Amino acid sequence: MPADDRGSPQAGALSELVDLNMPANSEAIASVVDAIGETLLSLEVPEQKRFEVGLALQEALSNAVVHGCGNDPTKTVRCRVKSDPQGRIAIIVTDPGPGFSPDLVPDPRKDENLHADHGRGVYLIRQLMDEVHFERRGSEITMWKY
Amino acid sequence: MGPAVDSLRQTLEEAIGTGDTRVVMNLSEVPMVDSTGIGLLVRFLVLIKKKGGNIKLAQPSKFAVQTLRLVGVLNLFEVFDNDDAAVESFT
Repeated sequence: MPADDRGSPQAGALSELVDLNMPANSEAIASVVDAIGETLLSLEVPEQKRFEVGLALQEALSNAVVHGCGNDPTKTVRCRVKSDPQGRIAIIVTDPGPGFSPDLVPDPRKDENLHADHGRGVYLIRQLMDEVHFERRGSEITMWKY
Repeated sequence: MGPAVDSLRQTLEEAIGTGDTRVVMNLSEVPMVDSTGIGLLVRFLVLIKKKGGNIKLAQPSKFAVQTLRLVGVLNLFEVFDNDDAAVESFT
């Protein structure tokens, strides 16, 4: 389901499930994705949703490491997972970078972009999650899965 | 992602370096393909096709297929149920 950039549901009634920091190193991403996958499994989130959240999280962490931190492992990426009373899951990834303009990300399915070797991450996140919004000038992304 | 993509990049570069441009990639043990992996696949597909070859995918997982379809590149690849069928398609 395509996502949009509007605000989050039930923002004031969220339970925090995970709050962790990881070094801005691409090799650290898999362990974070795995750990949050285990959390979702313990919540009995179905496989299809776990896949969608896992891939979106991987893309968000990769963007944070590469673009937000410049692959500098002395920098830190923060990842939080929250849920609301309806069981909807929010994943928030924050990096210390200057941010970016998500509206300027091109559509990778257009003919002129189809053979590009980059530029699919944000598009994938928006397609995989039910709601996506950016804050702090793009250096923080909140992704909702209902 | 990360080391897996680096390993795949190295393998494909070596294949091209030795003149092997007819490539079958078995994805049965690849549960997830991210945008970095997709970018790599597409980049090498373009490169290998320019040399008269092709990259064919065998046994991709349902999630890999979903992801490739989602970003619009599934149709760039021929997909097969097994390695033999993919290899035979080159003859």
